Amino acid sequence: MVSGGRNVLATVYLVAVLFYLYAPVAVIVLFSFADLPRLSMPIEGLTLHWYGDAFANPLLTTALWNSLALALISALVAGGLGTAFAFGAMKVRRTRVRGALLAASLLPAIVPLLVIGIALAMLFNALGLSQSLRNAAFGHVLVCLPFVILTMNARLETFDFTILESARDLGASPFRAFRDITFPLIRPSVLGAALLAAALSLDEFVVTWFNIGSHQTLPVLVWGLMRQGINPSINALASLLLFALICLVTVSGLSGCRARSAPTVSKQERMH
Amino acid sequence: MPAGGYYALLFGVPMVGLFVLSFLRAQGFEVVVDFSFANYEKIATSPLYQKLLVRTIRVGIVTAAIVVPMAFALSYLMRFVFERRGQLILQLILLSLFSGYLVRIYAWRTILGKQGLLNSTLQWLGLIDEPLAFLIYSDYATIITLTGILLPLAVLPIHSAMANITRAHIEAARDLGSRRLHLIRTILVPMALPGVRAAFAFAFLLAAGDFVTPALVGGTGGLMIGNVVADQFKGIGANWPLGAALAFVTLACVLVLYVVIVRAIRRVTMW
Repeated sequence: MVSGGRNVLATVYLVAVLFYLYAPVAVIVLFSFADLPRLSMPIEGLTLHWYGDAFANPLLTTALWNSLALALISALVAGGLGTAFAFGAMKVRRTRVRGALLAASLLPAIVPLLVIGIALAMLFNALGLSQSLRNAAFGHVLVCLPFVILTMNARLETFDFTILESARDLGASPFRAFRDITFPLIRPSVLGAALLAAALSLDEFVVTWFNIGSHQTLPVLVWGLMRQGINPSINALASLLLFALICLVTVSGLSGCRARSAPTVSKQERMH
Repeated sequence: MPAGGYYALLFGVPMVGLFVLSFLRAQGFEVVVDFSFANYEKIATSPLYQKLLVRTIRVGIVTAAIVVPMAFALSYLMRFVFERRGQLILQLILLSLFSGYLVRIYAWRTILGKQGLLNSTLQWLGLIDEPLAFLIYSDYATIITLTGILLPLAVLPIHSAMANITRAHIEAARDLGSRRLHLIRTILVPMALPGVRAAFAFAFLLAAGDFVTPALVGGTGGLMIGNVVADQFKGIGANWPLGAALAFVTLACVLVLYVVIVRAIRRVTMW
C-alpha cells in the first residue's frame, strides 16, 4: 500500500512527534544534573547538588508520604470500585444501556479538572469538611475511576463468562465463584488498573490543589517552588516524580501483558 | 453499584451544586442565598471577561485543530503503515501521558524561556544576538505546551475507531476503482469520524479548561478564563459564585461551538 519514499516520510513524522513528546522530559532530567543554576546551554559539568537541595527541603518528606498515601488509596478504592462498575456494566444485557453507562462513567475525564476541583471544594465546604488530605483523596479516586473502568472494560470484553456459569451450576456460591474463578483470572488486569490509578494520583495536581488546603503532595510542592522562580532543585524533584511514574506505569504495563495471555491458560486448564 | 453511588455523590451532586452556586451572591467572604442572574449579567457586560473568553476559545480551537490532524496521521500510520510495530508505537505515545503534567509544562518554560534552552543554544551557536522574546509568555507557548499534553489523549479514540477499518474494506474499495484520496474521503474519514469527534471534544474542552499552562508559560498577557476562575476560588478577593458562573459560561460556549464545528465537519465529509 505504501511505497518506499512515503515510508521514509512517515518515519520522519513519527520520530518528530516522539521527539516533541519526550524532549521536554529529557531536558528536565538532563538539567537536574547540570552544574549551573541557570537553565541554559552550554552545560559545563555534572553534579548531584540539586538532588541534595531537593532532599534538604523540609517539606519533601511530608509531601512524599502524602503523595504515596493518596496513590495507595486511589489504587485500592478506585481499583475496587472501577472493577465492580465494569462488572456491573457487563451484566447489563441491553447494549444501549451498557454503552450509556460506560459513556457516563467517562464524564469526569472530559470535564476540565479545574471544574471538578472547584465543584468538589464547594461540596466539601457546604458539608463543613475543611480542606484536607481526606478531601483530596475523594477527588483522586474520582479522577482515577474513568481510567480504571476503561481498562477493566477492555479486559472484561474478552472474559469468558460461561466458566462462571459452570461454577455456579456446580454449586459454588457467588462469593466462592468470585474468589476461586473470577478474581484469579482478572487479577493481573485489576493490578494493572490499580497501578494506573496510583500513577494518575501521584501526578494529580489541579483537583488536589483546590482541596488539600495547606498540606503538601509532590506536585503541590513542585508548583509552590515553580511560582517562586527559577530553582534547579525543581528539576531534581521533577526527575524523582518522573522516575516513580515510570516505575508504576511499567509494572502496570507488564501486568497488562500477563492479563492478555491469561484466557488461553484458562482454556487449557478447563480441558484437564 | 457502589461506583455509581460514588459518581452521583462526588460528581453529580457537586456539579449541580456548582451550577446553583453560580446564581448566588458573594458578600465579603460569605455566600448569600439570593437567586439572581447578576453574575451572568456581570460577565455579559464586562469587556475584560469577554476578551478572556474569546482568547480561551481561540486557544482551545487552535490547539484542537493542531492536535486532531496530528493524532489522525499518527493513528493512520500505526494502522496501515507500521502495522507490525503499531502496538509498540501506541504504547510509546500513551506512555507520555504519565510523564508528569506539571513537569512537562515546566519543561516547556525551561525550553522556551528568555534565557532558556532554545535561546541560549541559538546564542551559543551565534545564530542570534538577542534572545527571541516571543517564544515564551504568549499564546504560542500555551498552544505548543497544550498540544504536547493533549496529543496522546486524542490518539486514543481515533486509533480505536480506525481499528474497525479492515484491509478488506480498503481492498474492496480499491477493486472498485477508488483512488487514494477518494479512498481516504469515502472510507477512512467517515469510519474514523466518531473517534475524530471524541478527540476534538477532548482537546477543545481540556485546552479551554486548563489554567496551569497559561499561568506558567502564557505570561500576564496570555491569561485564560481558567486563571480567573481559579482566582475566584483560591486568590485574594475570591468570589465563588462569580467563579462558578464563569466556569459554566465557558463550558456552555465550548459545547455550543463544539456542536457547530462537528456539524460542519460532517457536512464537509458527507460531500
